[in-house]
Amino acid sequence: MVRYIIRRLLWVMVTLLVITLLTYLIFFVMPPTDPAINFAGKQPTEELVAEVKRQFGLDKPLLVQYGLFVKRIFLGDEYGWPGLGFSFSTRSELKPVIFERLLITVQLALGAAILWLLVGIPIGILSALRPRSIFDRFAMGFALFGVSTPVFFLGPVMLYIFWFQLGWLPGSGFYPIGQYGFWEWFSHMIMPWTVLALAFAAFYARMTRGNLIETMGEDYIRTARAKGLSERRVVLKHGLRSALTPIVTILGLDLGALLGGAIITETVFNLQGLGNYAIQSVFSGDLYAILDVTIIAAFFITFANLVVDVVYAFLDPRVRYT
Amino acid sequence: MPEPLLQVNDLKVHFPTDDGLVKAVDGVSFQVMPGETLGVVGESGSGKSVSFLTVMGLITTKQAIIEGEVIFKGQDLLQIPQEEMRHVRGEKISMIFQDPMTSLHPFYKVGSQIGEAIRAHQKVSKKEAFDQAVEMLQRVGIPKPEERANQYPHEFSGGMRQRAMIAMALSLNPDLLIADEPTTALDVTVQAQILDLIDRLREEFNASIVIITHDLGVVAEHCDHLQVMYAGKIVETGTADDIYYHPHHPYAWGLLGSITRLDEEQRERLRPIKGLPPSLIFVPPGCAFHPRCPYAFDKCRVDVPELLPVDGQHAAACHLPLADKQRIFAEEVAAR
Amino acid sequence: MKKHLTIVALLAALALVAAACGGDEEEPAETGATGATGATGETAGFTQGGVVREELTDFGFTNGFDPTGEYLGTAWSWYQQMLIRGLLTYPGRAGAEGNLQVPDLATDLGQVSADGLTITFTLKDGIMFGPPVNREITSQDIAFAFQRINTESLIAQYGNYYCGTIVGMDCSAKSQDEPIEGIETPDDKTIVFTLERPTGDMIYRLAQPATYAIPQEVAGCFDKAGDYGRYLIASGPYMINGSDQLDITSCDTLEPISGYDPDKFMQLVRNPNWDPETDDVRLANFDGWVLNINSNIEDSYNKLLNGELDLLHGAPPAAFLQQYLTNPDLQDNFFSEEGDRTWYITMNLLVPPFDDVNVRKAANYIVDKAAMLQATGGESSGLIATTIEPPSVLPDLADYDPYATPNSAGDVDLAKAAMAESKYDSDGDGVCDDPVCDNVLMINRNYEPWSEYTPILQDNFAEIGINLKIRELDVSTAYTTIQTTENLIPIAVNAGWGKDYGSPFGFNFFLFNTAGDSCEGSVNYSHIGMGEDLAKECGPKTLAAWNAVTDNGANPLPNVDADMDACVALPTGPEYNACWAALDQKLMEEIVPWVPYRWGAANIAIGDTVENYQFDQSAGLIAYSQIAVTNGLTPEELFGA
Repeated sequence: MVRYIIRRLLWVMVTLLVITLLTYLIFFVMPPTDPAINFAGKQPTEELVAEVKRQFGLDKPLLVQYGLFVKRIFLGDEYGWPGLGFSFSTRSELKPVIFERLLITVQLALGAAILWLLVGIPIGILSALRPRSIFDRFAMGFALFGVSTPVFFLGPVMLYIFWFQLGWLPGSGFYPIGQYGFWEWFSHMIMPWTVLALAFAAFYARMTRGNLIETMGEDYIRTARAKGLSERRVVLKHGLRSALTPIVTILGLDLGALLGGAIITETVFNLQGLGNYAIQSVFSGDLYAILDVTIIAAFFITFANLVVDVVYAFLDPRVRYT
Repeated sequence: MPEPLLQVNDLKVHFPTDDGLVKAVDGVSFQVMPGETLGVVGESGSGKSVSFLTVMGLITTKQAIIEGEVIFKGQDLLQIPQEEMRHVRGEKISMIFQDPMTSLHPFYKVGSQIGEAIRAHQKVSKKEAFDQAVEMLQRVGIPKPEERANQYPHEFSGGMRQRAMIAMALSLNPDLLIADEPTTALDVTVQAQILDLIDRLREEFNASIVIITHDLGVVAEHCDHLQVMYAGKIVETGTADDIYYHPHHPYAWGLLGSITRLDEEQRERLRPIKGLPPSLIFVPPGCAFHPRCPYAFDKCRVDVPELLPVDGQHAAACHLPLADKQRIFAEEVAAR
Repeated sequence: MKKHLTIVALLAALALVAAACGGDEEEPAETGATGATGATGETAGFTQGGVVREELTDFGFTNGFDPTGEYLGTAWSWYQQMLIRGLLTYPGRAGAEGNLQVPDLATDLGQVSADGLTITFTLKDGIMFGPPVNREITSQDIAFAFQRINTESLIAQYGNYYCGTIVGMDCSAKSQDEPIEGIETPDDKTIVFTLERPTGDMIYRLAQPATYAIPQEVAGCFDKAGDYGRYLIASGPYMINGSDQLDITSCDTLEPISGYDPDKFMQLVRNPNWDPETDDVRLANFDGWVLNINSNIEDSYNKLLNGELDLLHGAPPAAFLQQYLTNPDLQDNFFSEEGDRTWYITMNLLVPPFDDVNVRKAANYIVDKAAMLQATGGESSGLIATTIEPPSVLPDLADYDPYATPNSAGDVDLAKAAMAESKYDSDGDGVCDDPVCDNVLMINRNYEPWSEYTPILQDNFAEIGINLKIRELDVSTAYTTIQTTENLIPIAVNAGWGKDYGSPFGFNFFLFNTAGDSCEGSVNYSHIGMGEDLAKECGPKTLAAWNAVTDNGANPLPNVDADMDACVALPTGPEYNACWAALDQKLMEEIVPWVPYRWGAANIAIGDTVENYQFDQSAGLIAYSQIAVTNGLTPEELFGA
């Protein structure tokens, strides 16, 4: 198992390298002109552009730039470790920006994950245990609504109703718990968490329902009942154990992707996370910012894949890696 | 006469479906005496499994219509509340199933699953239950039981898994063990081992056994009594000798004709029974077997034959007169 | 609108006369005019205190808020109106008046020598830098600002207004410490500029934020472009929150000021060292100002409407614009001011069919400017442009419309008449029949309202036989695409040009002078005056196109460099403006590089808390130096000052 993990970790590295190389290529090949011009102001004379290029390191050949970038990620640059470079737009170092934004995205993602698990899975379980009942129909109706309603619609609608009209909840923005206390932080996160969690909750409810219905039809459930176990034990220990295991996999993958940034939610609620930073950087052509966000997102996804596979091996004894 | 351990009277189990009412079990009566092995034979859809799932209270479909009596040690199991039934299952009556691979939970160790059965009915610690499980595994003839108890079902071979299932079923010393197709999923060589094991354990544990199977060959040596089921009803019942040497029902003749016999020379090809089992929604009128019976006559199409005694415990449900039955059997069936 | 323009023009002319009388006499006998406003006596009556709250989706700084290179109008407003002071500044008024300088650190608008080659300023007494520098500003601090402009590594993005004009400035100095030959500081209170040639609008250039006083003890630590922005030392009524915490004992002890986070916010509080007696311009009514970054623009407007913000700059999203224009309660809360910005279609003289001036004239007749204005949001988004310079920058041409069409909606007949003269219309029916008119590439932006122009222009040009293939790109890519000469983009509508300062020179110079032309980063998109050397340098395609259009150099491209040089030398005043007006007319009627279609408006939405609304014409934002707020908030409660 350990050898397996190490091999997978190496693949994670390789994947990240390939992704960053591709990002570099796309950045330089797609816009057919020199990014330095963008940052040389309104009147980009040749001298200005040349000096900008020099300060941004854009005067070196492409592969050298890429090599330096990789080296700095691993060994650090003048701002510390990991070497995330500096922003072309703000002329400031990127590390604090990236980490602060990552922290916000993590809080958004984890909070939403907890919410969607707490809501989605019980609904799925109850639906599975009472198929075709009123509860089940309502629950699946809710699921349909949840996966169909886009965040960019639901978000502003919620803001409008709960903040602007009713004043029940505070508006947009992120208020760090250290600075503003628990309630400020929490009350500002309620709507973003809800909006982000909704589609997932619906999906997880459906999935849990489907998995559990299928599991409850398995032979070992019959055996469990035949042993004289209480129905509660049959469902929880035998049924759910099997039904929820695939969900652990999906959860890992969903979280991995979400940690790369929930772009729309962050933008609508003005949570300065990695998601909306990604968009901003792409539009402003801020190379290192784009690369940093890409690497982080890619890292989370590939790492999540690895974690999920390893966890699955612990959950399902039939799966063994060499 | 000693009291029957299990007495089933006129059991009916019907399932309403969108296509119609499925009469899975349609008026079945039998008994299981203490210390004996009952063989229940029939094709798929004969109602043999459903009958005993009903005895166990494992029919979970809410719309199922269940009538009749299932009297176990003086108590009608159909009338007692769920919670009480739970105490019967596993402790007084146990059941093992056809495919031991899917019947054991793949994520839990075998020893834990057996321990779980024990702890459902007795107040013992996990460790004690596990130790008992190890002991049970040894009694069912699994070598290195401590190691095995810590393994997962997928690490066992087919035969071993079934032994483990049996161990689990017997761990609380039940009075009755129902084995639903216990050998169907196993190799032929292993089949015999399992059946021998069941025999041995019956004596050790002093339990009654019901073996449900579609294979007459399986029950030949191991059952005291046999009952043959067709389309939700019992069509013939008696001792093993009765059924094998003096069958009275054309279906039984057909079944016997379709097995190989070691005690006779193989003269001709095997003769399967023509046709297919009937739909349980649209059961043929009169005798359910009549569309496939080479000896059917008018009465068969109209009147449902009752299970009438032939002699002693031997009974059959067929309209053919006794003389005719004996003649047909002697001339045609036994001659093959 | 026209009526207003005329009045503005008259006022502007008057004001120009007044200013001209003050500046350029032989003997420096009279002190110059103090400018159009006097601040003293006006503080009484406006609410004191409160914090101005604003939001933006992005700072958008071009140089990290370092004034030496920072080119963003928003930043200039904040520098001039609140944070830092230089020799000259702007009064915070609308119209032509707002585009004229007033003395700030200097005692007057400068004494120009008879030959126009030297300008001398005297500094006022007792003006201090804010904490933690805490000392009086001297003429060396001004000279130092110019040394920074002159330093190559600091990338002074509008350095070319000074380099080549002030003696000894070439924008390629290796260090900020190198003194400049043409800038002398005989004593702490005097500074003398020596120019290469008489430059009429030098006074405008000396009011630009890059020239404002900078303390060497702090800025000297930063020799990379953009770095100083997070350590900005104030000299105006306000400073960045946390400036006093800056440890200036050495370059290594410096940490970015906490009140400015380039990703999130900027907070300003009062500068304790600012003395209102020394400041004729700024009222400094409020106690603090905070700008937060909000990625959701609708959210910002909602906050403005329910009182959580005090003002917002920029064009509001359609739904909110609707409210501001139709709701009687919001009538006084929304302003469309002249933005001193021209939006235009640019045509490339190197690329057929636009190498033919008749085609370019036809383009001017065919474009439906009214429809484009409508698509942009109607009157609140500005005026229909009829010439190159906006009327507030060059009021002389307020009524000039060389390609007038009924309702400015374009006129097919006039367009066809022009096209018929073109060599690409062989049968003279007014419709292009040459294959070069098929699939003509046009660059546009990919978001509204520009994306709305695509169908309009497609239809318009089709009527004269030009089949446009319009490519919509994001704004930076669009710009870099047309700035790269070798791309040979025939025509583009993504561009706009806002003034750097209120003199027409700043408007015209880069766009039509060969100095503004280059291979990458050209803003002379039409390539007026391009010579063979530059064509060769830019690449084979450019050279081929240039050869084709100029007949291998026999027929050079039109060139206005000489015209411009003539205007530049004149002192500012009616003669100066008339010179530029004549150039504009020549450009519009003889060279025709553009179809100007809109003079952009600057939109400002304010809450009910804002008092004494004034528009600062020079930077195009609200006049922070004049407004007051009644919200009674304190910097402590809002951001723990």
